[in-house]
Amino acid sequence: MISFHLNGQRVEFSGDADTPLLWVVRDVFKLKGSKFGCGAGLCGACTMHLDGSAMKTCVLPVAAVAGKKVTTIEGLSAEGELHPLQTAWVTHNVPQCGYCQSGQIMAAAALLESNPTASLEDIDRAMAGNICRCGCYPRIKTAIADAGRQLVAADNTGKSAIAYNAMAEEDEA
Amino acid sequence: MSSNTLSRRRFLKASAQAGGGLFIAAQLPGCAFGGALPIDLADDGFVPNAFLQLTTTNDIIFYCPADEMGQGIRTGLATLVGEELDVHPDKMRVVSAGSHEDYNNPEYEMQLTGGSNAIRAFNEPLRQIGADTRALLLNAASLNLGIPVGQLTTENGMIIAGERRYPYGEFLGTASTLPLPEGTPLKSADQFKFIGSEFPRIDAEEKTTGEAVFGIDIDIPDMVSAVVVRAPVAGSKIDSFNAEKALGIPGVIDVIEISSGVAVIAESYWQANRAAPLVEINWQSTPLDSVSSATMRADLTAAIEEDSQATTDREGDPEHAFSESSQIHSATFFTPLLAHAPMEPLNATLRLKNGVADLWTGVQAIGSAQGLIERITGYPREQIHVHNQYLGGGFGRRATLTHIVEVTEIALALEKPVQLIWSRENDLQNGLYRPASLMKLHAALDDTGRITGWQARRAGGNLTPDYMRNSLPALLPNLPEFVFEGMTAATDYMLKRWTTDGSSVEGLHETYDLPNREISHVTVDHGLPLTFWRSVGHSYTGFAVESMMDELAEAAKLDPISFRLKQLESKPRMAGVISKAGELMQAMSVPEDHHLGVAAHSSFSTDVAQIAEVSVTGNKIRVHKVICVVDCGLAVNPDIVRSQLEGSVMFALTATLHGKIDLEQGAVVQSNFHDYPILRMDEAPAVEVVIMPSDAGPTGIGEPGVPPLAPAVANAVYRATGQRLRELPLLLA
Repeated sequence: MISFHLNGQRVEFSGDADTPLLWVVRDVFKLKGSKFGCGAGLCGACTMHLDGSAMKTCVLPVAAVAGKKVTTIEGLSAEGELHPLQTAWVTHNVPQCGYCQSGQIMAAAALLESNPTASLEDIDRAMAGNICRCGCYPRIKTAIADAGRQLVAADNTGKSAIAYNAMAEEDEA
Repeated sequence: MSSNTLSRRRFLKASAQAGGGLFIAAQLPGCAFGGALPIDLADDGFVPNAFLQLTTTNDIIFYCPADEMGQGIRTGLATLVGEELDVHPDKMRVVSAGSHEDYNNPEYEMQLTGGSNAIRAFNEPLRQIGADTRALLLNAASLNLGIPVGQLTTENGMIIAGERRYPYGEFLGTASTLPLPEGTPLKSADQFKFIGSEFPRIDAEEKTTGEAVFGIDIDIPDMVSAVVVRAPVAGSKIDSFNAEKALGIPGVIDVIEISSGVAVIAESYWQANRAAPLVEINWQSTPLDSVSSATMRADLTAAIEEDSQATTDREGDPEHAFSESSQIHSATFFTPLLAHAPMEPLNATLRLKNGVADLWTGVQAIGSAQGLIERITGYPREQIHVHNQYLGGGFGRRATLTHIVEVTEIALALEKPVQLIWSRENDLQNGLYRPASLMKLHAALDDTGRITGWQARRAGGNLTPDYMRNSLPALLPNLPEFVFEGMTAATDYMLKRWTTDGSSVEGLHETYDLPNREISHVTVDHGLPLTFWRSVGHSYTGFAVESMMDELAEAAKLDPISFRLKQLESKPRMAGVISKAGELMQAMSVPEDHHLGVAAHSSFSTDVAQIAEVSVTGNKIRVHKVICVVDCGLAVNPDIVRSQLEGSVMFALTATLHGKIDLEQGAVVQSNFHDYPILRMDEAPAVEVVIMPSDAGPTGIGEPGVPPLAPAVANAVYRATGQRLRELPLLLA
């Protein structure tokens, strides 16, 4: 039995401990926002947060997340709200087919969490693990920079723009 | 609604026509299926035609007849119908239309999304439907309110009568008793509210929250997972197999033979995929076993010299033009096999229950999916429901439905709902490919720099035989296999000897005025399955022709813009695009070590020019910026036009810098993104798009941005290094 926190809720998984986290989340917990793209950690469509860091989950055995906090695209923002990155994604009309975008947004969210003033070079580096076959890269870059500015502005006013921090703390209680 | 009668049917007429290779489909009877519309009628729903349902609670549902694979067609078509209906696309619920002849693509007479034609082909029909439905609602409101129609107007889903506003939903009862008007006048461009305006695409939000549903996200009760082990060399059949080890893997339920290989069935994909390599299979040998990339290249090199094998189209007197010419220039270009690699691997979920089939998938040809299930199960057409989801990328790959054949065979054998998923390795190694091409071009120039003679020959495989092989069983589900084998073999024979497959040579001359020309083709067929790949023939002919134009401009001692303009006297639209590109190029200020290359290409009725800003360090090519100038007629949604060109640049840059599929003993070498690299963000250039203003009807935007990119980059690389790279991917010595 492996237990971990999924989007603020404690969950248990009793299957094969080698099963990649991606398939546990998709098949067992039925959260379908994280995608399968390569099965080899090469494309980033499966990116989730593990204790706040971006992680490719199609090759990560679920045993490795025991006791840890996993956040998926479904838990990035509070119900009914959009994360500043998601707002920027819509404003800049980023998605085309949309399949890779959960992974792109999760990778970007981890970057901005640690470095909201990320430069364009920082963005290139942090996002190099995420493939977009439709080629939305220029818009993704613009949207991340824009969301970073929003986060900094919100921080300066003392309001957290990221709801999922609050969810994580709630879970501690 | 017409029924599917013999009189509607047309017989296969495989004449050579330029333009996309879809001509065979266009002349088939199609998947014409009449009968009841595949619409879930709400309790109070009113369906004035196949495309719209209105409810008294003011839901306005649009049944979108084209498949959304990222190109923004749901937004685009909703904009067309919404413009005339006077409802903002955002206010409509846009869903994928089911399978029915009323949703046939007007140019193909079947439900097929491809060839960048949806916005062009549906423009007038959908606007007419919007206008007629609005007129119907006005007539109904007039009767109900006792106010003459002339004193009523509309605004975003409301009937306006002076100060009073009534939602469309209030008049559905009366509307349902009235005839639907026909031929209602359409708006003029100055009356447009939504066409040409900027707003987020309607699927933007659900595609950022993880809520958008793709085929792979379907999860139905009692579903099992399947992974298929296919022949490493295409076309090889199973001699024998041993499933003992695979059956020992936890979660594995069954291992069965199907027509394309061995299916491993398990409780989950991960279990099935883990067990799949453990199936021991002896494959029969095939002629393709002896083919490698090197032998394929050698075969093309030999074949292109075989005049006796060539099929030829001529205009004017090329021999005379070449004999009179003051300057003759020749060059040979090569482009490799490519895979599509959409981000969402192919998948399909099928439930066969009590004589009813439900298929959930994301394909570019839903009628064909229905036809294949009908063929294999024998279920009546009206009991087969295709629920098409968002496509996680298509690029041509999702128009061929071998995975639907597979899932149907598996579901029939298992008597359980089954979800088939292709691994990325399956996607790259067991697919259908953009053919490899060798192209030899000769041009005769006069003293003023005009091209007076043009000879272009391509050697390589044709797409039509594979398209027929895969589509005919779906389009004509009641006919036996041997009929298709005969038709395909006859077409194949014809295309090798008498006439050229249009998509094999498209783009070799159409962009410019090229008098005294000879376009010829030598078919080289190795038996590797081939199919449409974003921009089809243009994806390689654009590289050859536009690299050649750069070489010719140099030979004529003209700059690449004015040289091209000289060859465009009868093509003012492309001349306008290139002139604009020239202006923008002049205005660019670039660092000393950056170099510019230009290329232009006309495809799918759209004209595109691109300027690439490139630097070279050592043998590394870096593209910093690409400016695109496009004339696609009326830009229905300018921001989607821009995003399609940005995406085309990235898609084409992957092919320009990295893309190639290699064969070794008939098997594809590349297996995943480590050896079939896709452009990543740190290599992505900035893209600027300029849309030419136009009153002409809208034309396609999904593909035309692809062809000019590789030659624009190659031409810039020449300026940077003096090396003419005539082969893709570009590799500096």
